[in-house]
Amino acid sequence: MTEAVRIEELCFSHVASGLPTLDQVTLSIPPGEALALIGPSGAGKTTLLTLLDGRLRAWRGRVSVLGDALDPDRAPPRARRADTGFIFQDFALVERASVLRNVLNGRLGRIRPLRALLGRPSKDDLAVARSALADCGIVDLAERRVDSLSGGQRQRVAIARCLSQEPRLILADEPVSNLDPARAAEILSLLTEAARQRGATTVFSSHQPDLARRFARRIVGMRNGRIVFDIPTAELTEDATARVYDDANATVQPRLKAVP
Amino acid sequence: MESRGWGGFATGGLVAGAVLWSLATTDVELSRLFSAGPRIGDFLARMFPPDPSVMTEIIKGSAETLRIAILGTLGAVLLSGPLGVFASETMAPPVVYRPVRTALALIRAIPLILVAMLMVGAVGLGPLPGIIAVAIHATGMLAKFYAEAIDGVARGPIAALESAGAGPLARLRYAIWPQMAPVIARDTIFRFELNLRESLILGIVGAGGIAFYIQSYVRSFQYEKAASVTLAVIAMVLAIEAFNVALRRRFS
Repeated sequence: MTEAVRIEELCFSHVASGLPTLDQVTLSIPPGEALALIGPSGAGKTTLLTLLDGRLRAWRGRVSVLGDALDPDRAPPRARRADTGFIFQDFALVERASVLRNVLNGRLGRIRPLRALLGRPSKDDLAVARSALADCGIVDLAERRVDSLSGGQRQRVAIARCLSQEPRLILADEPVSNLDPARAAEILSLLTEAARQRGATTVFSSHQPDLARRFARRIVGMRNGRIVFDIPTAELTEDATARVYDDANATVQPRLKAVP
Repeated sequence: MESRGWGGFATGGLVAGAVLWSLATTDVELSRLFSAGPRIGDFLARMFPPDPSVMTEIIKGSAETLRIAILGTLGAVLLSGPLGVFASETMAPPVVYRPVRTALALIRAIPLILVAMLMVGAVGLGPLPGIIAVAIHATGMLAKFYAEAIDGVARGPIAALESAGAGPLARLRYAIWPQMAPVIARDTIFRFELNLRESLILGIVGAGGIAFYIQSYVRSFQYEKAASVTLAVIAMVLAIEAFNVALRRRFS
């Protein structure tokens, strides 16, 4: 079986946008893996995940996702974008729409464009959306508007939207850093369990090594756009964590995050 | 401190000069002010009691003003849709949105009554020049509001739908439109209220509507009839305000 993600000598630098650079990143991820990216702010975690999602271009190197080469000059085809689910730190939900509508939005890459614009959702789409709501424990919130929900509930909606894409690869960019510690563990457990049941590969980034240790089988440490270590979770030592974080704080200010 | 003192002195001198110049060059006969009281009294007395026999004219005039406001707003909405897109930073490049914004600012700078006079000259008397004038005048503001509504949309949900594989039209329909719609609705209602208020006076320059009757009754010294029409205008403005308060509550 081919790898879910294969990255060779990936470089990215775009000074004007202020995005962190990536420097000679090489990484391969087998299907079904649960991998955590850890590292300080500015290490390039978000850049790497956005790039794998096909929304960041003009990079150099070779990248293939789910067996197909990624083109650094154009967006991936719709079906491929639907295969790759993305979970955002700030949830990225349509605030004034219902929970169900937001989850159905995850189906938009799977249905014909004209049907997406005109028709009501099909029975199949509704069934997929409802099972995603059930997996995230929010069936009873289906008709609520997103702007009436708490942070933890919002991230559940965002995960349900991602699951309704029926993704084979789930990329989660700091999915729990806007949540309190109890909610954070709950959400990561939900996400990794749903991915495991579906046989999907999961890559999530976190600036909390203890959460990475609990929910990932493999941990990749990044700093200044480079991979510092790539080890099974059991081998993560204080020393390895220190290599990513220590005196990185001297050059990169730790980001303070508000807990909603 | 020294320069600030001089600045204050200069400003005071400028204001005093402006007032003195206005007084000296305008024919202000204070004696006329003293005889104004009885004359206003006489004028108001002649307006009383308002003549209810002009009900037909009031209904006809109000309906025409309402039609001018409705069709003028419709025209402004149709013009502001594409112009709002061209004036937005997120949908158009600087070479497009900069000149469009300048053009909209110029349109906003021209008073409605002036646009209406131009249109009466161009297409003749009646409600048509009024409708065109309202449409043009309102577009200056509405297109700017629409552009701001587009630029105010949160980027996150658009990126999320792009990531899910949604096409550009699906992103517009499900991520951009739901965020824009309430803002657009609120702005359009607000502009409709302004259009209705402003179009009440269009009849004075022959661009249709209820003010035509006020003007013709005052000119022919039928003050009781003018009073009835004026009361109708006041009632209309109050009704619009109540209606809009209710609508705005719906869209907040």
